[in-house]
Amino acid sequence: MTEFHGYERPDGSIGIRNHVVVVSTAPYANDTVERAADIVENAIPITHPLGRCQTKPDVFQTYRTLLGYATHPNVYGAVVVAHAGEIVDGDELAADVAETGRPSASVNIHAEGGVMNALKATVNEAQRMVQDASALRRRPYDASNLTFGINCATSDTTSGLCQHHATAGAAWRLIDEGGRAVFAETPEFFGGEEGLAERAATEEVAEKILDRVEYWDQRLQATGYDVRGAQPTPDNMDGGLTTIEEKSLGALVKSGDGPIRDLVDYAEKIPDESGMYIMDTPGHGAESVTGIGAGGAHFMVISTGQGHTLSNAVMPTIKITGNPGSAARVPEETDVDVSEALVGDESLDWATDQLWDEVVAVANGRLTLSEALGESQFAIHRIGPST
Amino acid sequence: MVDRYLKVVTPEDNVATALRDVAAGETVDVGVGDESRTVEIVDDVEFGHKVAIEDIDEGDTVYKYGLSIGYASRPIEAGEWVHVHNVDSNYGRGDLAGSAADRDPAEAIHE
Repeated sequence: MTEFHGYERPDGSIGIRNHVVVVSTAPYANDTVERAADIVENAIPITHPLGRCQTKPDVFQTYRTLLGYATHPNVYGAVVVAHAGEIVDGDELAADVAETGRPSASVNIHAEGGVMNALKATVNEAQRMVQDASALRRRPYDASNLTFGINCATSDTTSGLCQHHATAGAAWRLIDEGGRAVFAETPEFFGGEEGLAERAATEEVAEKILDRVEYWDQRLQATGYDVRGAQPTPDNMDGGLTTIEEKSLGALVKSGDGPIRDLVDYAEKIPDESGMYIMDTPGHGAESVTGIGAGGAHFMVISTGQGHTLSNAVMPTIKITGNPGSAARVPEETDVDVSEALVGDESLDWATDQLWDEVVAVANGRLTLSEALGESQFAIHRIGPST
Repeated sequence: MVDRYLKVVTPEDNVATALRDVAAGETVDVGVGDESRTVEIVDDVEFGHKVAIEDIDEGDTVYKYGLSIGYASRPIEAGEWVHVHNVDSNYGRGDLAGSAADRDPAEAIHE
């Protein structure tokens, strides 16, 4: 059994980081959030363009995503900043955070009498939280507490031949130890959906998979354009991927070939039961990674072909490539280089071992390269129009 | 001697992935399952790109991983570079979908 040293939360989850987040509920609170996080050491700003003038499906999705970050296992506590009365309600969000036992505070710019007062209130709340968080110590826990996020990024033809095998190998190693893993990007099932549905644990899950693929294909067809250019992307095509089907068949390699326990909605919490899950997201990396983070994945392996900056402030991202050219071109984005398993004499099992060792190190607190660079993106997938 | 840098994933495939830059005019031996097939390379093929290992008629399926990755949009001969100029997708083809206005993309969300 693998152990890691993590932080226990009042709700029983175990974090591999100990962050305080400052969460904006609407664009008009973003500046206050960014400024407060600039002032307070180690506070992470969560900002986005949504949370206002949205219809219900988007409101629920935005709320679920923000709550997922504010109550993430890697998060100690959260300060929520709202602008005024919003459909994504700041007080409600802060109350839902408090229900998990986490420190939580709500600041409303109108109620505080303007941005300067709100900034001071936000800074003071975050300052205390960061100080309290710093007193927490890591303790040993079983790896079964962990959820392994999986995403690809700037895939190329090496992805499905090499690094995705290592990613699947490491994810299933964690599942074998009682943990969970989740992959996403439904449009990147196109062409492989039947094989994927055959892996579903139940008939109901198989139907969900096929229904979501059909939904995405119709949604894309409704644009009236060929999806090529959006999927595969120009950098995918530079790397030799010709169609979305080819990209998908490679992409699915990263989930291995074991059973799919269930399919969850965008930003929905990953269930506690051990197994491999799917989250229904677009293939847009920033949006799928943001959704998987909201679902509570502790860390994510980003299995990349051409190399990528894709990262997340709350959920550390470990980037692996098997493309020797990419590893040489963007070394500061390459945590694990397994290209020797593609063009050299090493095996795919060797590649899995390289990745697993890095996963365990990162779970124990080793910074990823993107954490050390302070890189992150945050993009909530939107469903319908603004109103 | 089979060229290990030309990767055919399953014996059903009609393309190989180049794991080195391949030059027009080369003669290569490609491993297809347990067998070896000789292919005369027609185009320069960059690392990561695909080359046809048999003739593919226009409209026929292009196979990789033993499954369809699309169809030949024009005839492809063995040894040719296989990419967006001669293969089209069967998915996300809004350009072929007819009256897009009939579809309601929000419907499935509100179900």
